[in-house]
Amino acid sequence: MHLQSLQSTKKQEKEKKILPLTTRVSTRFVWLVANCNSMAVFMDLNVLFCADRNRMKSLIETAAHLGFSTVAINYVFEPKAKKQEVPSPMPITELIGKLPMVQGHSCPIRVLNRLTVVMSEASHFRPNASEYRPFDLLAVQPTTEKLFHAACMLCDVDIICILVTERLPFFFKRAPINGSIDRGVVFEVSYASALRDITMRRYTITNAVCLMESCKGKNVILSSAAEKALELRGPYDIVNLGLLFGLSDTDSKEAVTSTCRAVLLHAEARKTASGIVYTMKSQQEVLRDTADSKLNLY
Amino acid sequence: MLHHVPNSLPVHCVTTATRLAAVTSRPNEDQKRIRKKLNPVKMCADLSRTPRNLLVCERSSFLDEKNRLSFQVEQLRFNYKVSLLLPECGSAPSHLESTLNSFSRFYLVKKLPIYELLDKDFLQNAVYQGSVYGLSFGTRIDEDNCVALMPNGRLVLSLDKDSYEMLGFEGRPSRFNHRTCSRFVVPVDLKERSMAPGSPGYRRLLRALSSHLKLQTDFLISHHPGGGASLKALLSRYDWSERRPEVCSRRLSDLVCPDLRSCDPHSLLEWLGAADADVSCENSSSSFLSTLTCPEPTTTLAAALSASVSGLLLPQDVQRLVEQLRCHLQQEQTASWASVTVHGFADGPVSWGDEEHGVLTGGENFYNLLMFQDHTYRLHLATGPQDGCPP
Repeated sequence: MHLQSLQSTKKQEKEKKILPLTTRVSTRFVWLVANCNSMAVFMDLNVLFCADRNRMKSLIETAAHLGFSTVAINYVFEPKAKKQEVPSPMPITELIGKLPMVQGHSCPIRVLNRLTVVMSEASHFRPNASEYRPFDLLAVQPTTEKLFHAACMLCDVDIICILVTERLPFFFKRAPINGSIDRGVVFEVSYASALRDITMRRYTITNAVCLMESCKGKNVILSSAAEKALELRGPYDIVNLGLLFGLSDTDSKEAVTSTCRAVLLHAEARKTASGIVYTMKSQQEVLRDTADSKLNLY
Repeated sequence: MLHHVPNSLPVHCVTTATRLAAVTSRPNEDQKRIRKKLNPVKMCADLSRTPRNLLVCERSSFLDEKNRLSFQVEQLRFNYKVSLLLPECGSAPSHLESTLNSFSRFYLVKKLPIYELLDKDFLQNAVYQGSVYGLSFGTRIDEDNCVALMPNGRLVLSLDKDSYEMLGFEGRPSRFNHRTCSRFVVPVDLKERSMAPGSPGYRRLLRALSSHLKLQTDFLISHHPGGGASLKALLSRYDWSERRPEVCSRRLSDLVCPDLRSCDPHSLLEWLGAADADVSCENSSSSFLSTLTCPEPTTTLAAALSASVSGLLLPQDVQRLVEQLRCHLQQEQTASWASVTVHGFADGPVSWGDEEHGVLTGGENFYNLLMFQDHTYRLHLATGPQDGCPP
């Protein structure tokens, strides 16, 4: 019993170290999910946006039917021209209307907005830009080694996307990866391109295996990047897919469940000031969350 | 249903009641092929380790005084399905049919708030007298909050992190947490003095379940030996329905069957699963659905009976069925063996005894009893990756 309690405190300390900001907002997150009877578990944080409403609707309905409790609609932004503007997310109610129920649960699927900035130069990602505010999740896709290092150590993002459509132009180094793990930033591997093309399948598996060698299976999420409903797969199938990428069975399950939850908490914390104070644009009131002293949940 | 396993088992020493425990990892044929493709890349995924299963095999005899069969049957408290396979049998004999139809009834309560299980009258009339078997229905152990009420008076709540933190009652992290603590187990012994109605521990749990975390699930409940009478007070307050275990049987003709005494456990269980699921073991070249084959040497049975009962089944009823099958084997000259497979609930918080149960990608926990005419039997107890060792 004594050993067990020691181990659990050690684990809790580690959790504190790895995700310093997210644990402080856990009660607020708890308050947010209290409306839903069951905890959101399986998540797919990359569903590509398209203007066709019917397609989006069928995508979300398929995801709910497969058992995903949360999806994030991904707006990909590639700043090629000089004054290209960041897209603004369409409101969810306009896009889909009534949200479908998750299979086996009594609560509807949660739909979030996510922005992915494809970086080919350092100036493409502007930290603390106001255009990023409407998005719940922020991701970045670096294309060179220098940008990858900058994204891991400096950029204020939640997710770093790993290239899956072509051979990686650089090798992963342990130092930036460990740095990002300490900050709570996760790496994302998407599998839809592997479903489309056989060459992409090789690149996906190669790049994913390279990543797993360096990060040892920590802080990885698996998501679809699906454009059509047929490119989505069920959560347990993705857990099996993770085995091909070099994750162990428990790591693979975590990649679809608890690591995704950690990403959402990280995103919540990123929007606040050190996870304690956040502002709401309603009647010029600044809401102060003074529950920090009560947050001794660990 | 198990996949085809080509590797051998580590065999431990043999005694009068021989017991073999085999921990297997199953390299899949497809994964071996993919691994060959990745060879040009220097680093490749370690695909030889797949989720483990645990299979405990035991051989003994009913006449041996030390046999633990009744203890083992009683330990799997929440049984979902019992399937029988009887050779040389066209239709179910009358005494077996009556046994199958006399499995205890159970009740399904919709949206039962869990604090009702702490109700004083319920505890006095049902929990303290006899045994109550209760399990949350429609909840998945790796996604939702699950509840089990065991016959020894223990209430087990398996909660996710947010619910556990909201509940505010003492528990412990699940054994199967990996890097992050995402699952917690709250075991409560309702028969203990500290949980007697009126005591501070009892009041604390009641407050936690009724105001901090308003846990409410559909609930399957059954009582032995009282039946519905002792549960009436609890049931009358909510939307309940009485259910009978569902019995179905079918006749199999020309069933190819292996030599049951000498067959190795994995192939035997695979064949039994195929027979139960009505999957053909012919492995014909024109069919791509199944490549399962019957282990050699084979015999063909002209007729066999496959019957199953499903619902919330009590171990006492399973015990009675096993006794009836023993009598059946002694009486019938044509039947030389009988097989009973008992499946536990895949999404229950407990499997054998008080052991915690979890689902990684599958939550199988079952045992198979293969009885022979000379009073000997082979018992196989199987669990998945997130389970303790069967008794």
